[in-house]
Amino acid sequence: MKKISGYLFAVVFLVLTYSCQKDNPAPVVPPKVTTGVFILNQGLYGANNTTLTYYDFSSQQSSTDFFKNTNGFGLGDTGSDMVIYGGKLYIVINNSGYVAVANALTAKFLDTIGFKNAGVNRGPENIIAAVGKVFVSSTDGTVAVIDTMTLSIQKFIPVGTNPAQMAVSGTHLYVSNTGGISASYDSTVSVIDLNSLTESTRIKVGLNPGSIAADEANNIYVSCTGNYGSVGPSLVKVDLSTNQVIKTVDSAVGAIRYYNNTLITTGGYLGTSTVGILNPTDLSAIRTSFIIDGTHIQNPYGLDIDPSTGDVYIGDAKDYVSAGQVYCFDKTGNKKFLISVSPGISPIRTVWVAQ
Amino acid sequence: MPVQRLNQEALQQINAETLAGAAKYFSGVLIKDYGGIGGLQSISVRSLGALNTGLVYDGISIADAQTGQSDLGKFSATFVQSLELDLANPQQIPIPARLFASASILSFTSNTFNTNDFSRKKWIAGINAGSFGLWQPYAGLYLPVNKNMVVSANAEVTWAKGDYPYSIDNGIFSQKTVRSNSDIQAFQGEINIVNRFKDSAEWQTKVWTYFSERGLPGSVIFFNDNAAQRLQDKDLFVQSRYLKKYSPSTTLLVSAKYSSLYTQYQDPNFLNNAGGLNDQYTQNELYASVALSQRLGNYFALSLASDMALTHLRANISQFATPTRISLWNCLVLQFNKTHWQVNASLLNTNINDQTQAGPAAMNINKFTPSLALGYKPRPQSPFLFRFFYKDIFRMPTFNDLYYTYISNINRKLLPEYSNQYDAGITYSKTGKSVLSLFSFSLDGYYNDIKDKIVAVPSQNLFIWTMQNIGKVHIQGIDLNAEANGKFSSSLKWTARVAYTWQQALDVTDPSAAEYKNQIPYTPNQSGSAMAAIYYNSWSTGYSLIFSGNRYTLGENDPSNQLPAWNTQDVYISRQAHFSYFATTIKAEIENLFNEQYDIIHYYPMPGRSYKISIIFNNL
Repeated sequence: MKKISGYLFAVVFLVLTYSCQKDNPAPVVPPKVTTGVFILNQGLYGANNTTLTYYDFSSQQSSTDFFKNTNGFGLGDTGSDMVIYGGKLYIVINNSGYVAVANALTAKFLDTIGFKNAGVNRGPENIIAAVGKVFVSSTDGTVAVIDTMTLSIQKFIPVGTNPAQMAVSGTHLYVSNTGGISASYDSTVSVIDLNSLTESTRIKVGLNPGSIAADEANNIYVSCTGNYGSVGPSLVKVDLSTNQVIKTVDSAVGAIRYYNNTLITTGGYLGTSTVGILNPTDLSAIRTSFIIDGTHIQNPYGLDIDPSTGDVYIGDAKDYVSAGQVYCFDKTGNKKFLISVSPGISPIRTVWVAQ
Repeated sequence: MPVQRLNQEALQQINAETLAGAAKYFSGVLIKDYGGIGGLQSISVRSLGALNTGLVYDGISIADAQTGQSDLGKFSATFVQSLELDLANPQQIPIPARLFASASILSFTSNTFNTNDFSRKKWIAGINAGSFGLWQPYAGLYLPVNKNMVVSANAEVTWAKGDYPYSIDNGIFSQKTVRSNSDIQAFQGEINIVNRFKDSAEWQTKVWTYFSERGLPGSVIFFNDNAAQRLQDKDLFVQSRYLKKYSPSTTLLVSAKYSSLYTQYQDPNFLNNAGGLNDQYTQNELYASVALSQRLGNYFALSLASDMALTHLRANISQFATPTRISLWNCLVLQFNKTHWQVNASLLNTNINDQTQAGPAAMNINKFTPSLALGYKPRPQSPFLFRFFYKDIFRMPTFNDLYYTYISNINRKLLPEYSNQYDAGITYSKTGKSVLSLFSFSLDGYYNDIKDKIVAVPSQNLFIWTMQNIGKVHIQGIDLNAEANGKFSSSLKWTARVAYTWQQALDVTDPSAAEYKNQIPYTPNQSGSAMAAIYYNSWSTGYSLIFSGNRYTLGENDPSNQLPAWNTQDVYISRQAHFSYFATTIKAEIENLFNEQYDIIHYYPMPGRSYKISIIFNNL
């Protein structure tokens, strides 16, 4: 147990730094050697083809369907997010309605955590870890608190309509309430107090908030998709000391991540394939494209930044119905290597495996 | 042009619950079937896609501007006299112009409108009972009112639980289970009136209704067996045709139809803030057609047809576009017939105009599209017929393509999807005596290309899709059909038919894409069917087979998305008995005899072995 908790501490730290987009580029405790990445390939809705790719840094080989090859069964339908925390890999399978828990190094299956309410799928969507807990937002309007020791759901915190992406800043968890499948979109971010595990307030941002990132200066950045019609997309910056929007720009942003005083973004539904790099102060573009070596990405989908190196991993979903691939760029925007996830479809999340 | 037909005898042997079950026996078709009696069914011909096949019932189109093709499962095969698949368009004139507006036509006719019997009352009653809770009672009455008028009515009710077993194969989470929320209850009824006038003109009127309430079991999802979606249909149409021969060379056909299609889709588990989905759509259409044919001299005939349809769709969804579509079709047909040669050329003008109450409407369409068919017989009595056809046609984007609410309005710039068909074929047909009374064989090679194919593309994420005109497909194939029957003695007869298709349908949209020159999804390279039956006195027994080669579920033909080949084999035995006032037929069937476990659509398992007993009573 001691061994586990020591290990857990290291990984907790690591996970906190990248997955909460909370900047802490130079961890005090050096992480164990990062040996590779796990990539979650979403698959196609209704096709039970969510897969996990393991890419090994030393051999530069990827092994797709790593989870099934390890465990003899497939993950199921529409993987939407994953996180490594406390030596465990948590994989959210949206349409199958559960979270698969596996060993963070080997992907050896440990347990399932069901997300059914009287048999009906709650629609678990995104996952984040903080303060010894794992939080899962579900389309049914809740954020579940998972006890990482018992691997059971300790509590459901009611939030807004169809919550999705989350970020942690200080002692609070911020959740985008999209309202994405409702007649009218939501336009708020729920604030959850990590001490009391209750919703303390909601911040009004813009219509249909999606991706969310926190910096180390007490701000969050929220991409708001709008209604695909009269209300266009926007990107807002919220000052968490007042919970007020302090900057709004008309910009279509899909995913947004914060690292070392820059924001990296993918294009929104308007279809731009550009990966952007923005100045967090005024949300202006630092340059037209984050990528400077001419690498073309057809459809940037997954976007993750290695907290220890600043390397940017971009999942190319191509046409969403054929095999994707994942590009790794260094923080200056030059391509380092390319990971094949074939036949995995729509790579949505990369996490780092540290031995 | 190639025509395939199933007559009443073949339809009775197949004894399918719906028309789709019978249409599977044609070559070149792909029946999409989501499994079970209540599973949605559509027909695609020569890989052109379901929305390019028109349905025609007793000479008038069954249109559905919302989805593009009606669910074939709505149409019972019980009272159908013949089912016919016409490539390109039917050849006889006059016919409505709308029948030229599809790449192929699946048409079926009811018994009543093919009668010459204005003297005798007829009745029929029967029931099919089968595995997985199938009960299908029906009754029909055929009533001559006077020498010139017949009224007939028939009705059928279908109940099925659809709780058939299947297995989920997923390592330690594998399980054997049964399909749930797969039940259906449906009613279909129609009234037909035929009036024949002294001048030999004929007036046919039909009132048709369909009501159903069914569960949608959804695809099998690992770790999640919940399914609660329900679908309700309430359909009605009234159609009328007036056919008059003014002289041996001049014929007039006037057709009119009103149809109302109501669909309700409910999902109580949908996680919106309204606490579930309850979408209701009502589609109304008024349609009229005038067609005139005129013989010109000994060899030529000309036909002009002019059709109009007014289609309106409303829904209980906020911000719904509520589209109204005005469609005009004008078609000119020129025929030439002389000893060896038959030529049929047509030019169709289509003019379509959409208007919406909310948001932009689709662009107006005004197009001319031709078709040409040639037939050549070496000698008038020759058993050989050589043929060729070419057809250029398009399909309009459907209301769902254009105005589906959860899709951004980018798609309102959608253009029609074009297809070109080229076919060359040969038919050999010989009638004889006794053992081989009829033998016919046909072989067609074809090439089709599709451009501006309307493809659903996920945009921002997997759940928001837009429709785009991006697809290009090249299709080549071979269709082979053979049919034979005969009798060994007056009490021993036989019949057999086979259909085989080889097909390559390659996605040629984007040379840099993984799908480039891969077979399009769900299209087997080989498929086919076979049927044989023997009739001995009052006994009859038969066998039928449907097979499909392996297919890919995705455009990228990776082994991980390959679906295996399958075949199903059915057998039956039946006996007829005659009594003084009525006759009865009892039939026992085993469907999918070898209990093949297969999917037509991935993760929509099809039923394994099932049994069916049918009893029919009629007054001969």
